[in-house]
Amino acid sequence: MTPAWILDILAALMLAVAAVSVARLGLARPWRKGAVVTDTDVSHLFMSIAMAGMLASGLTTLPSAAWEVIFALLAVWFGYRVVSDARSNGARALAGGHCAPHLVHSMAMLYMFLALAAAPGGPGMGGASASALKYPTLAFAFALILAGYTIWDLDQLSGKRYSRAGASLSLAGVPAGTVPALAGAEPGVLVSGALVSGDAVVSGDFPETARSEARPAETTDAGAAPAGVTAWLLSTGTTVGCRIAMGATMAFMLLIMI
Amino acid sequence: MSEVAVAGGRTAWRGRVGTEVQPAGAKLDPRRALQLVLAAIWLLDAVLQYQSFMYTKAFGQMLAGTATGNPSVIGRPITWDATLVEHHLVLINTIFATIQLVIGLGIALRPTVRYALALSVAWAAGVWWFGEGLGGVLSGAASPLNGAPGAVIIYALLAVLLWPADRNALAPCTAARAVGAPMARGLWLVLWLSLAYFALTPANRAPQAVSGMISGMESGNPGWLAALDRGAASLVSGHGLAASVTLAVAFILIAAGVYLPAPAGRATLVLAIVVALVIWVFGEAFGMIMAGGATDPNSGPLLILLALSYWPLKATKGKAG
Repeated sequence: MTPAWILDILAALMLAVAAVSVARLGLARPWRKGAVVTDTDVSHLFMSIAMAGMLASGLTTLPSAAWEVIFALLAVWFGYRVVSDARSNGARALAGGHCAPHLVHSMAMLYMFLALAAAPGGPGMGGASASALKYPTLAFAFALILAGYTIWDLDQLSGKRYSRAGASLSLAGVPAGTVPALAGAEPGVLVSGALVSGDAVVSGDFPETARSEARPAETTDAGAAPAGVTAWLLSTGTTVGCRIAMGATMAFMLLIMI
Repeated sequence: MSEVAVAGGRTAWRGRVGTEVQPAGAKLDPRRALQLVLAAIWLLDAVLQYQSFMYTKAFGQMLAGTATGNPSVIGRPITWDATLVEHHLVLINTIFATIQLVIGLGIALRPTVRYALALSVAWAAGVWWFGEGLGGVLSGAASPLNGAPGAVIIYALLAVLLWPADRNALAPCTAARAVGAPMARGLWLVLWLSLAYFALTPANRAPQAVSGMISGMESGNPGWLAALDRGAASLVSGHGLAASVTLAVAFILIAAGVYLPAPAGRATLVLAIVVALVIWVFGEAFGMIMAGGATDPNSGPLLILLALSYWPLKATKGKAG
């Protein structure tokens, strides 16, 4: 068997992801009127708690059936988001959009719970024998896709972090009516036409609407540019880092259970 | 990532869903794209190395088995290594897996690409000897259908060809950027001609050799894959020589492809991809990953990646591939 301490380390990593997700949700203050609730942080929270429970039986929280419902709902939600995204951005949404990886994550989690629930050992990696997993082809396919997204995320993260100029994104020519998503953006600072948000620098000739939509995000969410731990928690790098950790761990779990 | 476009991945639940505009992303350099695929394969290898099977004595025995048939100068160190692994199984296997994880993540992270690729060459050379017994090249067990001349050596070859340096600004293909066109073509020629040679060795051209190798992949695999293997095995049953000659001819055509004009060169690259897919599905059963106990996806995807690295670049369209 894969040593328990390796599973424990991964479970601890998932708990750390859960803690970060909780902190991000807390900072977003979703209970306030007009506040932004982030679906990615909610899904990260659920997934990390569920995975920690699968990796270490002592951390099991909800019964499998509950997790199946949660991940089915998340899959439907992100499926809807991917379709909407694809309508706006074309097939590129599947490769570069942020909803597609979350859709795959949700579906992989749903598959794991269904496949393990059907296995004699029941849910949890300790109870799953090597041949117990149903439909191993799906596990292999999910693992391949997850590995691909993980590597892509790492590349994008390191590229943006280490070459900010090269990562600048032009918003010139963006129709004004298509920018309101910026209102739900991370607290950022608008400096000379460049919205600095987390690790990314979005620059260019902002349509006036974009400017006006971007400003509230920096003032209503945080009041001022966040600093220190808050800035780190709210940064794009942290979100993507959580996704990388979860994607790699999920691929590991899928292949271990084949 | 659209997190950047929408500034941070904090998408509004109550916003106009699906209306986020994604940036016109910068076009990914073909070499970087291939490096990322290589990184994903290394990551997959690392995860496979953490499997339960690798923490059993069977892993050490698998390593020891590769010494069989090799000259003693090659075989003895393999046996020593296998014994060492069996005695310190958890520690050594975890180190093995972690090295592969570091390579995969290192290639994916832009600042560490060079270090990770260099490490992958050294690691691949070691695994080729101590883990694969030089791919059976010296023992006569090598077959293009089971990963000859050793899947891991193709990782090293790819690391060299995808090295982030530009020797020639007008390189005809990605593989030629770091080492130059003559060297890239030479490496391609040697690899595919060696595969043609291995396809025709007595052990591989025996009447039941190809059939036996394919049917041997059935065990432990999902029903659909086992059925595919069964069908393919019965198709070539008793026709080992014909199958070997067909494969060898295809390999020779592919080997010569890089010296042909661009249209013919592209056709041979497509042939290389198709042959690699056939090998991966029927000869290697996706590296036996779905049967459990696999350490890597075997040579099929690496051969495809290699073929893609020789695809003529647009800027030099019209030149020989």
